[in-house]
Amino acid sequence: MNVTTPRHSVGRERLRLFLRNPMGMFGFILVSLFFIAAIFAPMLATHDPLALDIPNRLSGPTLEHWAGTDQLGRDTFSRVLYGGRVALQVAAIGVSISLILGLGLGMLAGYGPRWLDNILLLLFDSIRSFPTIVLALAAVALLGPSLHLVLVIVIVTSIPSYARLARTSTMALKNTDFVLAEKSLGAGTVRTLIRHIMPNVIGPLLILAAMDVPVVVTIEAGLSFLGLGVQPPMASWGTVLNEGYLIIRLTPWPIVAGGIPLVLTTLGFTFLGEALRDIFDPRLRKGR
Amino acid sequence: MESLLSIRGLNVEFQTPSGPLHVLRDINIDVPRGKILGIVGESGSGKSTVIWAINRLLASNGAVNGGTATFDGQDLLALNDRQMLSVRGEQISMVFQDPMTSQIPVLTYDRQMSDIQYRRKELSMKDKRERAIRIMHKVGIPDPEDRILQYPHHFSGGMRQRAGIAMALLMDPLLLIADEPTTALDVTLEAQIIHLIQELRAEFEATIMVVSHNLGLIAELCDQVVVMYAGEVVEYGSVSNLFYEPAHPYTQALLNCDPARTQTKTRYLPVIPGDVPDLHVLPTGCIFAARCSQVMEQCKTTSPAKVQLDESQHVASCHLLDPGLQASGNAPRNVSPQGDALGEARPKPSVESGESLKVEDLCVRFQINSWIRSKIQKRPRFVEAVIDASLSLRQGETLGLVGESGSGKTTLGRAILGLVQAESGSVIFDGQELRTLSRTGFSQLRRNMAMMFQDPVGSLSPRQTVGSLITEPFQIHRINADLDEEAARLCEMVRMPQDFLSRYPHELSGGQARRVGVARALALNPQIIIADEPTAGLDVSVQGEILNLMNELQETHGLSYLIISHNLPVIRHVSDRLAIMYLGRLVEFGDSDEIFSQPAHPYTQALVNGVPQPDPNKRRSLVSIEGEVPSLANRPAGCEFHTRCKYATADCRNTRPRLSEIRVNGLDREVACHYPLAGESVEQERR
Repeated sequence: MNVTTPRHSVGRERLRLFLRNPMGMFGFILVSLFFIAAIFAPMLATHDPLALDIPNRLSGPTLEHWAGTDQLGRDTFSRVLYGGRVALQVAAIGVSISLILGLGLGMLAGYGPRWLDNILLLLFDSIRSFPTIVLALAAVALLGPSLHLVLVIVIVTSIPSYARLARTSTMALKNTDFVLAEKSLGAGTVRTLIRHIMPNVIGPLLILAAMDVPVVVTIEAGLSFLGLGVQPPMASWGTVLNEGYLIIRLTPWPIVAGGIPLVLTTLGFTFLGEALRDIFDPRLRKGR
Repeated sequence: MESLLSIRGLNVEFQTPSGPLHVLRDINIDVPRGKILGIVGESGSGKSTVIWAINRLLASNGAVNGGTATFDGQDLLALNDRQMLSVRGEQISMVFQDPMTSQIPVLTYDRQMSDIQYRRKELSMKDKRERAIRIMHKVGIPDPEDRILQYPHHFSGGMRQRAGIAMALLMDPLLLIADEPTTALDVTLEAQIIHLIQELRAEFEATIMVVSHNLGLIAELCDQVVVMYAGEVVEYGSVSNLFYEPAHPYTQALLNCDPARTQTKTRYLPVIPGDVPDLHVLPTGCIFAARCSQVMEQCKTTSPAKVQLDESQHVASCHLLDPGLQASGNAPRNVSPQGDALGEARPKPSVESGESLKVEDLCVRFQINSWIRSKIQKRPRFVEAVIDASLSLRQGETLGLVGESGSGKTTLGRAILGLVQAESGSVIFDGQELRTLSRTGFSQLRRNMAMMFQDPVGSLSPRQTVGSLITEPFQIHRINADLDEEAARLCEMVRMPQDFLSRYPHELSGGQARRVGVARALALNPQIIIADEPTAGLDVSVQGEILNLMNELQETHGLSYLIISHNLPVIRHVSDRLAIMYLGRLVEFGDSDEIFSQPAHPYTQALVNGVPQPDPNKRRSLVSIEGEVPSLANRPAGCEFHTRCKYATADCRNTRPRLSEIRVNGLDREVACHYPLAGESVEQERR
C-alpha cells in the first residue's frame, strides 16, 4: 500500500488491547500480588517463620496468627509468605535459565547444519520422554534432596519445549529474503542469529515462559511435598502442604493457607500468559 | 447501452485502530452487457474493494455506507445472505489472482467442480463430470478426461489459471469477474490467458469485469475502462477514449509512467510525485490535487464535478474540463501529457571500458533426492539450475538478465555473489577468482558487490529501524565511521526524509522500502549491484522513481548493474546489454536495443512479442508462444526450447545448439539456436 498512515505505535495499541482484556488484568493483579508478597516477605511477615509458639499450636485463625499455626506453633501466614519466596526464586531462575538455553540451542538447531539439528532433536526428545517427577525421583535418589537439584531438574526438563519453539521459528526465518540480504552484505552467522533472527523468535518464547511459571511452581511444590525438594524446617508451599496433610484431622488451616496461594499464582500466570499470547499473536485473537 | 450491473453512489468504510478509513466514495460504474469492463488503478485505489463490496464479501471491519448495485434487476446490496448465496458463483463468479491459493489443494478438480454444481440437483454425478470435462476442454486443458482426476499441485501455473477460469464458467455466470488474472503468471502465459478470455467472451457471450494495474492487459482485453484513484472513479470511457484522449490528469500521468508506452529510451522515466493521500482525513477539493502537475486554486477547495466529454460515455472529474473554464480559453483541453523534459538517453559505456565482472561456464545444481534414494529408486539426484552460464559486465554498464520463472536467473545472480554454492565454472571480479577466495578475502569483496532483493519490505529485517538497517554494512565490515552522519548521507542520497530513520520496515510503503534497499546496497560504495526484480511489487508511478534513482546513482558513482527481471518494458528501458535465459542456459546475449529490435532466438522473439502493449490498436491476434517451461528435472533432448518452438526441425530435436557468435547489423551477439533470426525473416516475408 502506498498510503501514508499516521504513525501509531504498535506498543500503545497492544497496551490498549491488554487493558481491555479482563482476564489479563485479573492475571496481572494476581501476579503482582505474588511478586510483592514474595519480595517483601520479611516486612510483611508477622512472625519469624521458624519461631515456635508451642502454647498456641494448632490454632485456627486468630488476631495473633492470621492463618493459624501448625503442630509446632509456627505461624502459617508467615511460612506461606516465605514459601512464596522459594517459589519465586525457583520460577524466576529456572524459567529464565531454561529460556536462555532453550533459545540458544533451538536457534542453533534451526540454523545450523543438518547433523547438529538431528543430534539436538534427539537430545530434546529423550529428555521429554521422561516424566518430570520420575526423573526428579531418580535424581534425588542418587544425589539427595536439595533446592538446587530441584532447580537443575526444572531447567533440564523445560529446555526442550523452548528449544523446539525457537527451532521451528528459526527454520521458517532461515530462508527469508531478509536473512539472505544480511548474508549478501557479509554478515556472519553470529550476527545474523543475534541481531536479526532472535528478535523475531523471542516473542512466542516469552509468552511460553509466562505460561511455564505455574508449571515450575507446581513442580517445586510437588517435589517439596514429597520431601524431595526444600527440606524442613525451611518453608515452602509444598512443605506447608505436607505438614498440614499430616495433621489434617487436627486442623485444616495449613492446607487451606498453603493451597490458596498456589492456586492463585498458577491461575494468575496462566491468565497473563494467555492474554499476552492473544495480544502478540493476532491470529489467535477471537472474533474481533 | 443496457447495463448488466450498475453501481450507484457506493460508499465503503473500514474501521481501523486509527479511525474510519473512507475506502470508496461515491462510486458509479456501469458494466454494459456483453462487454469487457476494465478497472485500472494503483494499489490503494480501492479497485478490489469494489469487487468485494458487490459480492458482499468485505472483511469484517468493512461496511457499505449507502449506494446501490443493481444487477440484472435486483439490488445486490439489499439482498439477504441466503439470496446472496444464489448470486455468488451462480450469476457472478470470480477468477482470482493466484490460482495456487484459491483452489482447494486436497480435492481433485473433479470433486471441486462437481461441488460447484451442488445446486443443480437434477444433474447426476456423471452429468456433472461431463459438464466439467467439456468446460475444461474449452479452456484449453489437454486430455481433460484424465486431468480432471488430478489435484491442483499436478497442474502447472498456466494450467491452474485455466482451470480457475473453467470453474468460474461452469455455472454459466452472467458476470465473470477477474481480479488481476495474469499478475502471478509469466509474460508468455499472460498472453495465452488474455487470448483465452477473448475467445471465451465470444463463445459464452459473457459480461466480464477485469481488475488490473497492468495497462497492457487492459488495452488488450477491454472495451470500457474505469480509472480509479484513492477510492474515487476519476475517469470512465471506452478503451480508445482512455488510451488516446485521456482527459483526467491522473489518467494521463498513469499512461506516461508506463515504460511500455515510452518508445524511445530516455534518461528519466516520468513519475507521479507524492503518495496516495491518507484516507482517514480526506482532503477538501480534488483528491488528486496534491500530486497533480496542473493543479489550480479551485482544485484545493472544491471537488470537481463529472464532465461528459462527448456523445459517447466518456466521463471525467476534473476542473480543467469544466466547460466554463474551457470557454474562457484559460486552459487547453488536453494538457500536454509529455510535460517533463526527460532528457537524452544515457550514452552507452564504450566497448573498450574494462570488464569488472566476468562469469565463465558457471554451473549451479541443487540436490533433490538423497544419495541413497537416487541409487535405489534410480531418480536423478540433482537438478541443474544454471548450466554453463558465461557473461561479462563492463564498468558503468547495465546488464539485463531476462527469463521466465524457473529459468535460473535469480540463482545465477545469487551464485555470482556466493550466496548459492556453484558447482563449477568461475566468477572473476577485479582480477580475482571469487570461488576459491578465502572467507576474509570474500568479506572484503562483499564491500564492492551488493545485492538488492525482490521483496522490498521482506528483505529488511523486521525488528530493526531504518537507521540501523542502512548503517549495518559499516558495522558488519567494522568500518570506523560516524554512523549518524553516514545514515544522514545515505538518506540524502536516496532522497528519503531524515525522520524515516527511526521507522520500522512495516511502516514503509513499497517504494520507501525499496529506497532503503538501495541505500543499504550503496552504503559502502560498491562497484557492482545485482538487483533482483528491483521494481517488482511497485506501482508504475513509483517504479519510475526507483529506476530514475538507480540511473542517477549509476552516473554519479560509476556503478555497474546486473538487473534480473521478467518485466521486459523496464529492462528495455534501463539495460545496455541483455542476456536471456531459458532452463538455466543463456540463449541470447548482446546489445539490448539490437535484441529488442531484432530478436534472434525464437524464445527471445516470443518474449518480446509477448508483452501486451498499452495501446488498444496493437492488439495481437496470435499467441506468440504455446505451452509452458518444462520441468528442470526433465529437460528436453536436443535444443531445450524445441518443444515450444514453431521453427523446430529434426535437427533441433537431436542436437543442442551451442552459444555462438553471429553478426546482426554489424554488431556481434551470441545466440544458441540452429536457425537464428528465423522468425524475423518469416515476419518480413509476411509483410
